[in-house]
Amino acid sequence: MPLIDELTSTLGSARVHSHPLELMVYNKDAGVTTGDVAVAILPETTQEVAACVRIARRYGVPVVARGAGTGLAGGAVPVQPSLLMVLTRMNQIWEVDTQAQTAWVGPGVLNLDLSRHTDHLGLHYAPDPSSQAACTIGGNVGTNAGGPHCLAEGTTVAHIHAVEMVTADGDIVTLGEKAPDPVGLDLRAVVVGSEGTLGIVTKVLVKLTENPPAVRTMLLTFDSIQAAAATVSGTIAAGIVPAALEMMDQPMVIAVENFIHGGLPVDATAVLLAEVVGLDAGVDAEAEVIERIANDAGATSVRIAADDEERALLWKARKNAFGAVAQAAPDYYLHDTVVPRTRLVEVMTKIYEIGERYEIKMLNVFHAGDGNLHPLVAYDAREPGASERVKAAAEEMVRVSVAAGGSLTGEHGVGIEKRDLMGIVFGPVDLDAQARLREAFDPDNSLNPGKILPLGSRCYDYGLVSDPWQESS
Amino acid sequence: MTVLKNELAKLAKGMLQELPAGAPDADFAVSPDRAQDVAAVLRFASDHRLKVLFWGGGTHQGLGYPVVPDVVVSTAQLNSVVDWQAEDLTIVVEPGVLVADLEAQLEQRGQTAVLPESPGAATVGGVVASGLSGWRRLRYGPTRDRVLEVVLATGDGRVVRGGGRLVKNVTGYDLPRLATGSLGSLGLITSVCLKLWPLTAERAMFEVGDPAAVMRTAYRPYAVIETNTETTVYVAGTAAEIEAQAARIGGHPVSGHRWPDPLQGLFNLLVRVPAGAIPDAVTLIRQEGWRFQAAHGVGEIRLAVDDHDAAAILSLRQWAESVGGGLVVARVPEGSALDPWGLPPDSLDLQRRVKAAFDPVGIANPGKLPGGI
Repeated sequence: MPLIDELTSTLGSARVHSHPLELMVYNKDAGVTTGDVAVAILPETTQEVAACVRIARRYGVPVVARGAGTGLAGGAVPVQPSLLMVLTRMNQIWEVDTQAQTAWVGPGVLNLDLSRHTDHLGLHYAPDPSSQAACTIGGNVGTNAGGPHCLAEGTTVAHIHAVEMVTADGDIVTLGEKAPDPVGLDLRAVVVGSEGTLGIVTKVLVKLTENPPAVRTMLLTFDSIQAAAATVSGTIAAGIVPAALEMMDQPMVIAVENFIHGGLPVDATAVLLAEVVGLDAGVDAEAEVIERIANDAGATSVRIAADDEERALLWKARKNAFGAVAQAAPDYYLHDTVVPRTRLVEVMTKIYEIGERYEIKMLNVFHAGDGNLHPLVAYDAREPGASERVKAAAEEMVRVSVAAGGSLTGEHGVGIEKRDLMGIVFGPVDLDAQARLREAFDPDNSLNPGKILPLGSRCYDYGLVSDPWQESS
Repeated sequence: MTVLKNELAKLAKGMLQELPAGAPDADFAVSPDRAQDVAAVLRFASDHRLKVLFWGGGTHQGLGYPVVPDVVVSTAQLNSVVDWQAEDLTIVVEPGVLVADLEAQLEQRGQTAVLPESPGAATVGGVVASGLSGWRRLRYGPTRDRVLEVVLATGDGRVVRGGGRLVKNVTGYDLPRLATGSLGSLGLITSVCLKLWPLTAERAMFEVGDPAAVMRTAYRPYAVIETNTETTVYVAGTAAEIEAQAARIGGHPVSGHRWPDPLQGLFNLLVRVPAGAIPDAVTLIRQEGWRFQAAHGVGEIRLAVDDHDAAAILSLRQWAESVGGGLVVARVPEGSALDPWGLPPDSLDLQRRVKAAFDPVGIANPGKLPGGI
C-alpha cells in the first residue's frame, strides 16, 4: 500500500504499524466505542508530524491524533479508516521557566510526570484528571480535561499559554505565547478542547502553579445526598472556593473500600472529600468553617487528615474509584454531565430514578463543587440487551442534566459519545457557526472527522435558518 | 446613502440615534435593544457592504487600527443584568452594563467578576471584547477565563450562542474565549455569562522595596504592582492569613486600599512580556523617565509617554518583541504614525479565515486587528 510505504520511508518500519493485530491496541480508548485505524504511526518530532499529515493528505486519508488513549468520549477513536498519530513518544520537557512559571512540553508527557518533574521547584501542573498517572498533556489539551483541583483553578484551557500545532495543510504554527494577551484572535483557546479537529498539537506551553504551603483534606460523612449537597452550596455561599470538593455515594464508597481497604466510612449515604489549600492560618480557618457548615447540615462525622499519609490515602480512594468498579462488573460506562451547582440534588434524584427504572447498577463519584456529575454504570456487556439499556439510561441522564440548565460534558469532551446530543444544547445556527469555525481551520474535514459536531451541522446554506427580521417580528 | 438610510430607518424601527460622544463620523448610528435587532442591522450592513463600528463606553476605542465607519452600533440600550445566580457564582449581563455598576451591585452580595479596577465609563462588552484584565489577574487569572457563555450577533447577521451558564463546561468549541479580545471582528457580543468569585473577608496592601523578593515570599498575592515611586503588594484572605502574609513579606500593611490611578499620557501603551522579563523592562522604562505601572508575575506594564519620541517607543517595542512579547498602543495623539500592534502573530492566515467564518463580507469593525483583519 503506497501510503504505508511512504510513511515507512519517512519514519522507518518500527514506527509504522499496520498489521491488524497491532492495530487492535489502537482502535479504542477507555470508553465504549471502537474505531477503524488504517495505520498507526509514532512520530517523534513536529517535522515528522507535519510530513505525515502532508502524506495522508495526498492520499485523502483522515488524520486522528491520540495520546495515551485514556479518553472516555471516543475523541481519539477514528470513525472511518484513518491515519492514527500516536504522540506518546513526543514526551520531552523542553523548558521550565521558574520566573514565568511555565514549561514547554511535548504532547506525550504524562500529566503526573510533569508535576513530579517540577515538584522540586515548588511548582505543579494544576489540572489533575483521575487518570493523571497515565494520560498525556496532549490528550488533556484535546479534551480540555478537568480533575478535582479544577474547582478553584479552572480546566486545562486556563493552564495553557500556547500550543505549537501542525495544521490540516501540514504547516507548523504557534498559537499564543509566554507573554500575556497575545494580539489578534485567541485561536489557542479554540484549539484547546477541539479534540484534534483543528490541528495536531505538537508542543504545549503550560502554566505551572505554586505548590501551596499548607493543605487540609477533610472527609465528611452524611446520611443523605441532600445534606452533603447543602454543605457544598453552604461552603461556596460562605465565600470559600475550596481547592477540591468531591462527593461519593454509598455504593461507590463500598466499592472503593473493598479495593483499597482504607477504613472508609461504608455506612454513610454520602461522603464529601474537601480540600483547602493556602497558608496555615487560612486553611485551618477555612476547614473550621466547612466543618461548621457540615455539622449544621447534619454531618454524621468530620475527619481531617492528620498527615500527608492520611491525605494520600483519601485521595487514593477518590482517584481509584474507577479501578475499584472493575470488581463490581466486567464493563463500566462513565458519564460526564454538568449542572448548575444549586440543581445538584434535584438532578441526582432524577438520575437515581433513571437508574432504578433501567435496573442498572450505578455508583457515583463526582466533582460536586462545580456541578460536574459522573454517574458510573457497572454492567456486563455479554448480557443480552445490557449495553442498549445502559446507553438509553445514559441519554436520559444527559437530558435531565440539560433540562436543569446543564450541559453535555464538563471535562471528558464530546467526541463520538455526545456528538449526536449536541442539538439538545445548541440550536442549528449555533452548530452551524461551530462548523464554520472548524472549516476555517480544516476546510476538507481531514482532521478527526465525525467528532464533536453532528452530521448536517453546516445547515445555514440550505436555508434552515430564517431571516432574523422575520424571527423578531 | 439617503436611500440606504431610509431603508435602515424603516427596518430599524426607532433604533436610530445620535452618534455617541467621541465616536468618529458615520452616516448613521443605531442603538438596538435586542440581539435579533443587532443581527438584523449587521445583515443589512453585510448586504450593502456598510462598515460597522461597535461602541460601548468608548474607553478602549484607541486599541487597534481605526475604523472609518458607515454605521455605528452602540450598546447603550443593551444594558440589563439578565440573570444573576449568586449561589452558582454566575451572572448573565448585556454588553452595555457599566463595569463600575456591575461590580458595585455584585459587591452588595460579597461577589466580584474581577473586571478591571478603575474602569471609568468602560462597559462589560467593551472590556470583554478588548480582552483586558484588571490587576487581580495574578491571583484570579485573566478576564478571558471568566467568560462562560457568549451570545454573538455575527457580522453576517446571525445570533450565535456558545459555551453555557456553567462554571465548568467543555461542550463544543470555545466561542466565549474566542470572542474575548476579538475587538468586534466577529460581530457584536450581545450578552455574556461571567464566572464570579466571592470577595475575600479582608484585604491589605504592603509597600516593599524589592519586587523580586516579594514574588518569592508572598503566597499567591493578588497583585504586585511596581510604579515609578513604589512597589505595592496586595493580599487578601482572613485576618489571620493577612497576618501570616505580613510575616512572610516582612512588614506591616499600609492603611487603606487603593489601586494606582489610571495613567493618562499623550501616548498610552501596554507592554507585554514574559513575567520573568518585567525587571528588565522596568529598567529600560526608568531610563526613559516614562510613567509606568508594572504587574509583576503577570508580565504587563501600563505606560504613559508624554513626549513625541516615537523612536524611543519603537526601540522599546523591538526589545519587547525580542523577548517574546510586544508593545500595544492603547491611545496615540492624532497624526501619530505609530503602528498600534507591532509584529503580527504568525497565525494571520488562520485568523483571517476565522473572522470570515463569522463575518464573511468583512463589515464588523473591519481592519482593527493585527494584519488589518
